[in-house]
Amino acid sequence: MKINTWFGVLGIGRTGEVLESELFSKDIRELARRSIALQENMQDIPPAGFDLKAAAIECRFVESSAEYYSLLHEVTLEAAKLQVSGALTPDQRIIQAVEALDDINETTNSLSERLFEWYGGYFPESGLNGEALALFIAKYGSRENIGSEDPLYSKARNSMGAKLEAADEILLKSFSESVCSLYERKRQIEAYIQDSMGSIAPNLNLIAGPMLGARLISIAGSLEKLANFPSSTIQVIGASRALFKHLRARAPSPKHGIIYSHPLINTAPWWVRGKIARALAAKLSLAARIDFYSGEKDASLVEKLETKVQQIRASNPKPPQKKQDSGVKPKKKRRK
Amino acid sequence: MTEVKNLSEGIFEVVKDKKQLATKNLDPGKLVYGEKLIPVEGVEYRTWDPRRSKLGAMVLKKFNIPLKEDSKVLYLGAASGTTVSHVSDIVSEGAVYAVEFAPRSMRDLIGLASRRKNVHPILADAGKPDSYAHIVEPVDLIFQDVAQPNQAQIAARNAASYLKRDGYLLLSIKARSIDTVANPKEVFKEEIKKLEQAFESKFEILNAKDLMPYHEDHMGILAKPI
Repeated sequence: MKINTWFGVLGIGRTGEVLESELFSKDIRELARRSIALQENMQDIPPAGFDLKAAAIECRFVESSAEYYSLLHEVTLEAAKLQVSGALTPDQRIIQAVEALDDINETTNSLSERLFEWYGGYFPESGLNGEALALFIAKYGSRENIGSEDPLYSKARNSMGAKLEAADEILLKSFSESVCSLYERKRQIEAYIQDSMGSIAPNLNLIAGPMLGARLISIAGSLEKLANFPSSTIQVIGASRALFKHLRARAPSPKHGIIYSHPLINTAPWWVRGKIARALAAKLSLAARIDFYSGEKDASLVEKLETKVQQIRASNPKPPQKKQDSGVKPKKKRRK
Repeated sequence: MTEVKNLSEGIFEVVKDKKQLATKNLDPGKLVYGEKLIPVEGVEYRTWDPRRSKLGAMVLKKFNIPLKEDSKVLYLGAASGTTVSHVSDIVSEGAVYAVEFAPRSMRDLIGLASRRKNVHPILADAGKPDSYAHIVEPVDLIFQDVAQPNQAQIAARNAASYLKRDGYLLLSIKARSIDTVANPKEVFKEEIKKLEQAFESKFEILNAKDLMPYHEDHMGILAKPI
């Protein structure tokens, strides 16, 4: 019987004794590569309970048990390193980008609010906030520096705001510059996601748009996992709280998770949103599968989705009638 | 005055201000996850947080931990290596085959394994034991902490291939990952029944206890093959 081991190919007898052996050289990298290949093909594996270490010593691959373990340690470590470095697929980069974008959004929002409060004491009439305010402060600093060509000139002249001291002005200006650069990074990441979604998941990109598509991949964990999800799961991704409430208690099931941000759903009247969400999720799941397994762009998906949505809208033109209350409260179902 | 009590082979209770679970540090001077180092009479002990380690919780729940200095262990679901580091401390002359499926966790585990000669990391799916058959030798203990819906089946498959006849299976069952909705007690009962009967390799359950207060909705099980 022929068996594959990490240190060589062995021919063994019925009781596990080594009859012949073709040993590999003790090159760590080479052994690690072979080990990974064996892990994938799973051919001629040793029988259950086969003592690899005893066999390695018996066929003189190593002299001692200590040598066996120290070599095995280096080989498994090297193999794991090779596998980890190969595991960083393009969809993982997108996931990092999406999560970085969420972090940046959160940070810029709270920093912008801080800036608004802070500068509000010096120029409350500006009417600016967010990036516009940050740009304004970075440009002028104190409202006294504002030029007469600026539309805010007269407001700045007659402002009830306090006078901005030089030390505070320096601080506020550099703070605003940081905020501005965060807005800049945000646009840069968005552009990056848009670019890479087109090449990594073209169909998903077409149906969901880059941001929603990237978010779906991010929550699923990878494009592969997203492709393996049933469409009913895709429909409620991002609504896990509502979903588990529904599963545990008698709460209604969620109609949509983050796919709510898709224009087909959030512009639809409320009574067809659930139906459209279902149709959209079905096509998203198809798109993710095509993207993961073939990668070819299929424009017919979008058309089919649009026809389906029109059908749904056409057959449900009016909101459903509310059920008449018969005066008697329906008996509560017992909790399981 | 620091007092050291031996709880089980390689596992200690160090009393310094309060009682703490600990193992002898195999990698002196180095921390793995922010635990404490307590030197006592020239030996460095590393404290073991039962709230972060199911095996640690099992020790405190008075499980018999069948580990010796030279034991071989197949550890399924090694994650970042928090518990693996303590197993590696205990089996200082043995070997730990640490199987983990997630590349992200494996990154941390590699860091740990490169400092500890008895840890052999394997990036593989514990549900496919054949994929590491060319590496793993017969072992004295399989420890499983994988939190998968079919974890009993995974344990049985690995035991059939790698567990010595006189070896033990130690596993932590996470009720919430088997059925998010069902009552944990029912889930535990079901899983124990599975281990006893459902698969080709059957087990005798030696001990089964929940891991409260250290881990919610978890149960520790010690079993041996029949």
